Amino acid sequence: MPTPVSAARQCLTEEAARALDDAVAVARRRGHAQTTSLHAVSALLTLPSSALRDACGRARSSAYSPRLQFRALELSVGVSLDRLPSSKNLEEPPVSNSLMAAIKRSQANQRRHPESFHLHQIHNQQQTASLLKVELKHFILSILDDPIVSRVLGEAGFRSCDIKLAIVHPPVTQASRFSRTRCPPIFLCNLTDSDPGHRSFNFPFSGYEDGDENCRRIGEVLVRKSGKSPLLIGVCATEALRGFIEGVQRGKASLLPAELTGLTVICIDNDISEFVVEGGTKEKMDSKFNEVGRMAEQCSGPGIALSFGELRTLVSDGVSGDRMSFVVSQLKSLLELHSGKLWLIGAAGTYETYFKFLARFPTIEKDWNLHLLPITSSKASIEGLYSKSSLLGSFVPFGGFFPASSNFKNPLSGINQFFSRCHSCNEKCELEVASILKAGSTISVADQHSGHLPSWLQTAEVDTGKGVNSPKNAILNSVQTIDDETRNVKILGLQKKWNEICQRLQHSQPNHKVNIPQAASQVASVEGFRPSADRKESSGEDSSLIETRSEFPSPHIPTNSQTNVPSKQNKFVEISSDAEKVNCQSGLSVKVSKSWQTEIGSPCFPPYANVNLPSDRASSSSVTSVTTDLGLGTIYASTCKAPKSPNLQYHKEQSQYFSGSFSAEFDTVSKSSSQKLVQSSLCSASSFRGQHDPGDLKSLRSVLREKVGWQDEAICTISQAVCRSKSGGGRLRGSNLRGDIWLTFLGPDRIGKKRIALALAEILYGSKESFISINLGSQETGCQTNSIFEHDELDGYDVKFRGKTVTDYLAGELSRKPRSVVFLENVDRADFPAQKSLLQAIHTGKFPDSRGREISINNIIFVTTSTVGKGDKLRQPEKDRLKFSEETVLAAKRCQLQMSIGCVDTDVNHNRGMNVRIAARGPSNPSSVKRRKLLETLDSTNQTFEMAKPAQKPSRSFLDLNLPVEEIEENIDCGDCDSDSSSDSSETLLEDFLVEVDEKVVLKPFNFDALAEKLVEEINLRFKRTFGSEVVLEIEYKVMVQILAAAWLSDWKRVVEDWVEQVLCKVFAEAKQKYHLTSPCVMRLDAFGDLAAEEQTVGVCLPARIILN
Amino acid sequence: MGNILLEALNVRVVGSGEKILVLAHGFGTDQSAWQKILPFFVPYYRVILYDLVCAGSVNPDYFDFQRYTTLDAYVDDLFNILDALGVDRCAYVGHSVSAMIGILAAIKRPDLFSKLILIGASPRFLNDRDYHGGFEQGEIEKVFTAMEANYAAWVQGFAPLSVGADVPTAVREFSRTLFNMRPDISLYVARTVFNSDLRGFLGLVKVPCCIIQTSRDVSVPESVANYLKDHLGGRTTVEMLDTEGHLPHLSAPALLAPKLRRALSR
Repeated sequence: MPTPVSAARQCLTEEAARALDDAVAVARRRGHAQTTSLHAVSALLTLPSSALRDACGRARSSAYSPRLQFRALELSVGVSLDRLPSSKNLEEPPVSNSLMAAIKRSQANQRRHPESFHLHQIHNQQQTASLLKVELKHFILSILDDPIVSRVLGEAGFRSCDIKLAIVHPPVTQASRFSRTRCPPIFLCNLTDSDPGHRSFNFPFSGYEDGDENCRRIGEVLVRKSGKSPLLIGVCATEALRGFIEGVQRGKASLLPAELTGLTVICIDNDISEFVVEGGTKEKMDSKFNEVGRMAEQCSGPGIALSFGELRTLVSDGVSGDRMSFVVSQLKSLLELHSGKLWLIGAAGTYETYFKFLARFPTIEKDWNLHLLPITSSKASIEGLYSKSSLLGSFVPFGGFFPASSNFKNPLSGINQFFSRCHSCNEKCELEVASILKAGSTISVADQHSGHLPSWLQTAEVDTGKGVNSPKNAILNSVQTIDDETRNVKILGLQKKWNEICQRLQHSQPNHKVNIPQAASQVASVEGFRPSADRKESSGEDSSLIETRSEFPSPHIPTNSQTNVPSKQNKFVEISSDAEKVNCQSGLSVKVSKSWQTEIGSPCFPPYANVNLPSDRASSSSVTSVTTDLGLGTIYASTCKAPKSPNLQYHKEQSQYFSGSFSAEFDTVSKSSSQKLVQSSLCSASSFRGQHDPGDLKSLRSVLREKVGWQDEAICTISQAVCRSKSGGGRLRGSNLRGDIWLTFLGPDRIGKKRIALALAEILYGSKESFISINLGSQETGCQTNSIFEHDELDGYDVKFRGKTVTDYLAGELSRKPRSVVFLENVDRADFPAQKSLLQAIHTGKFPDSRGREISINNIIFVTTSTVGKGDKLRQPEKDRLKFSEETVLAAKRCQLQMSIGCVDTDVNHNRGMNVRIAARGPSNPSSVKRRKLLETLDSTNQTFEMAKPAQKPSRSFLDLNLPVEEIEENIDCGDCDSDSSSDSSETLLEDFLVEVDEKVVLKPFNFDALAEKLVEEINLRFKRTFGSEVVLEIEYKVMVQILAAAWLSDWKRVVEDWVEQVLCKVFAEAKQKYHLTSPCVMRLDAFGDLAAEEQTVGVCLPARIILN
Repeated sequence: MGNILLEALNVRVVGSGEKILVLAHGFGTDQSAWQKILPFFVPYYRVILYDLVCAGSVNPDYFDFQRYTTLDAYVDDLFNILDALGVDRCAYVGHSVSAMIGILAAIKRPDLFSKLILIGASPRFLNDRDYHGGFEQGEIEKVFTAMEANYAAWVQGFAPLSVGADVPTAVREFSRTLFNMRPDISLYVARTVFNSDLRGFLGLVKVPCCIIQTSRDVSVPESVANYLKDHLGGRTTVEMLDTEGHLPHLSAPALLAPKLRRALSR
């Protein structure tokens, strides 16, 4: 819709409005229906003294004569205008969209660069119009952006960018780009002053022309009432001092504040150095001081600055103390005598010099009334800045965006304009623009945008409709990434594109109306966040991805899914294929579809798949969203697989039940509105809960027990809690049941906790894929290199490389896997935002990310762990007795092992057939210095355990990274050292959290000692079988720890025993062959460098081959 | 009229704590760089955020080429802000150029600061006789030439290099803010920064400092962090951050925030 001229005029200043009137007149004359940018150009060119003509004159190429080129321009404009269709004569041809867009653009530009902003501030009492009026110059600049205009100009041999530059750049008569004498902006420091007229600087603006900041600062110190003597300090201090002295001596008045004009500088640095270093006579020095004193007395000007030069001469090594103190005291008395008339000035290259001086004369600061003035750079280098700074010409493309210098426009009109702009409006405008430019600098940026969106975005939003947030965000995001120069163009393009997308969306909406709420609950949790996740991956300018994304928001347009559901069943099938096609076309990334597949493929879906309906019907029921359809194949796959899975039983029961209720529902689906569906699905959901009965409890418990055999009690509690929650004993949200379950595992056994959680994921959601694991404490402790426990599937969240916070990472994962077990380790050490999100999630059933968007967690089981709490008390007293504590094992590294033959140890004691012992390696292990060695004998087996125990660390309130890495590593899993000293508030948060969880489970510590015993015995058996009883095997402590860790981590019980049987025995045999051992000796099994992944035995973090040395 | 300054530099005060924390961004960014760090501190501090006058989010007209020839002018801005807000003591987190500003400010008004946290700080970026700052004069001239020749291209190249770690969002964010700066201002500030040399007076800093250094920073070699530690006059610690790049607050906020908190609480 073209805009009425009167409306457009409102946006323009008087001058610009006149130009617009001319343009309208041109359009009327030619009988055109609309006033376009071309008309404006034509009108602007006809004016004799027009700015555009002037700019063209300066921008034209010198190849042609100016007259010829202008003629060509007029001609090409005329021809272009002739081409426009003429219509019936209108009194005022309305302003075309393109011209209006240009006006809008210039408005935006002007907002961004409100030149003489300060003027406006000063006169802000005159608030009249609320609209920002576009000046002529900005108006012209924007018109030149119009592609038609640039084409026409191009035909005449002009380049619109040249013209723009010419408009931005004032004619060459202006002396320098940077001197702003005509309209000096008020400096920031002055802005703080209460009176705008008064300047807090003692310097007139003209004084800046030399650009020597250092001199200015020296002057500033001198002029202060306290009469401080500046001591310049810094690498460039001497240079700055020299510059100052030279400047003053050459009489550059501008260098100094007005109060100081006529300042005299006397340099006595040479005299001083002669006196103190070369041993000049005292008399000579004395006379010099007297001379200075006389001069000070007679001085008529503001005073004398007495330069003692570089401080270094006074403190250099060869200087005798007497002479130095003579100089110092003389200078002091001079200062006292002529206070107010005399200043000292000096320089020190480094602070060390000054400190040395200070050490000799502790009172010098007071005596000499020193003021330390740090000098950051020298004048010479600053001058270098200026020589280069006329580079603006090289930024042609940005021409339009530079703040235009003020002399182009009529100064009066400029002032008028600022009178008329009201303060609050201006503020708002600034804020608005800034918020666009800032790209989410605040958390609430999305809200802000929805609040006051620029008009063009607002229309875009209306078009996309239904308040679909994500497209808007996507637009904004892309907007943000787009640079200034191309922003407007691209935004327009985007807007267009979005309109198209939107149209298509509306077109394809029937697809999504099939939404069955049950599935929608999943979809809904995805839709809001999927775009955000994608957004992070794709650059905002990538149009294809944006389009893909647009497919997602559509399923959840709420009104649609409830009101008009197509009733014919066969239509479903059609639609589903449609939807599929759409999806393929849109080029969904493989990753996305894959994640959907896995999710749908999980055995928990069989309720749907086992309905035993004809396949097309089944599909129609699950073609609730485009993506579900994609996963169909997998659903069947998973049903096929089901018999093999151990937990088949209760699934079957469930599905049996489901098939009944579901098929009943199904008819409803096909006939009735989705409103009914909500109800039926709800009822089925509740019956689903009821389905979990003692049988499930048993199966759950037995599967868990199989995985983590040593935590029997805990498993009982856990499986009970899970079943209870599933069967309706869960938390309520309002009157609805919530599906999220919250468990907290307390106490030790980190791996046990993890494996229980992982097993839960497998049992309840059918795959390891639905397991999200985050170690909330990992950020504080940092990751050990090459630790056994540094494992991809163990540490899904790699804090180092994601660039996002835990909250956002978790939110992303949750939306990707809406049915899963979330395993959060060290919840007590979570950072504040994460804690807040978790608390909110446990209260409301929705997990908010850092931008406040919420993800449903209805099908999530949260397992949080903490090493603090009840478990601590159990563990603490035992700690010292343990040979292998959990901390030591957790610190295990993947090492290659090496077998070597050692010398015969005299104290080798053959104890009742135990030829295997565990020993600490001595000095070769760097960390053992810090360890105190313990020699202990284990009663039961009489083995010698030469133990290296990590020294008990005093619990520190912080983690000092300046300490060697080793200590930090040892700290990692000590639950007893609270690493956050400001954790008061976080503790209360945590308490709240722990109160809220469904079940707190305390785990027992893993008995490493027993395992170690068992393993050693096993090894002993094998070893003796090979070598007989004469040879002793010494296993390095580190190696034993590694073996224990491997056993702890391994999936099934006998994995380490197998390793001993296969790998270790093999190396025993090899060793026997190689060394032909006869006499008693010691074999050693040592760690030997890092273990590469390919050298590992399958399933264990132990080497597949042991090196024989 | 203090509020005009606050407005011009987009000063924002958020948070509910009693203690005051100033977050000052570095070259090529604006206060939005702290976006991901901010939530960690809002509950415990009154956080003051502002834009340096050179930032792209500040009206370029405020950038006076004759005033901002040295870092002192930026320090004055900081003082003006703090005075306008009536702050008499605060902790200061400064990144890159703001770290330099913080050092200078702490010398001039030591009572104002309870703690300085310097991220990616360097007293001098250029190499000197027995000082390794990371850049040779010749190299830097080339950089300046590249900036002049084609700012957009330079940004495209510089941003990933500076962010270091492979975090596309951070690169995009840094590119955006860097590109928001007017090219001439950007170049001018870069020159100012590279011409600055704070080594001579590091010892005058008496405020306790914490230097946060990433394991690989294209702009600041690790030796610089140690140099700072050795020369800064106050109680100084160096915290190594197990990530790469010059902008850990963009690329690894979850890693940096706890470090900052610990450093602040000490």
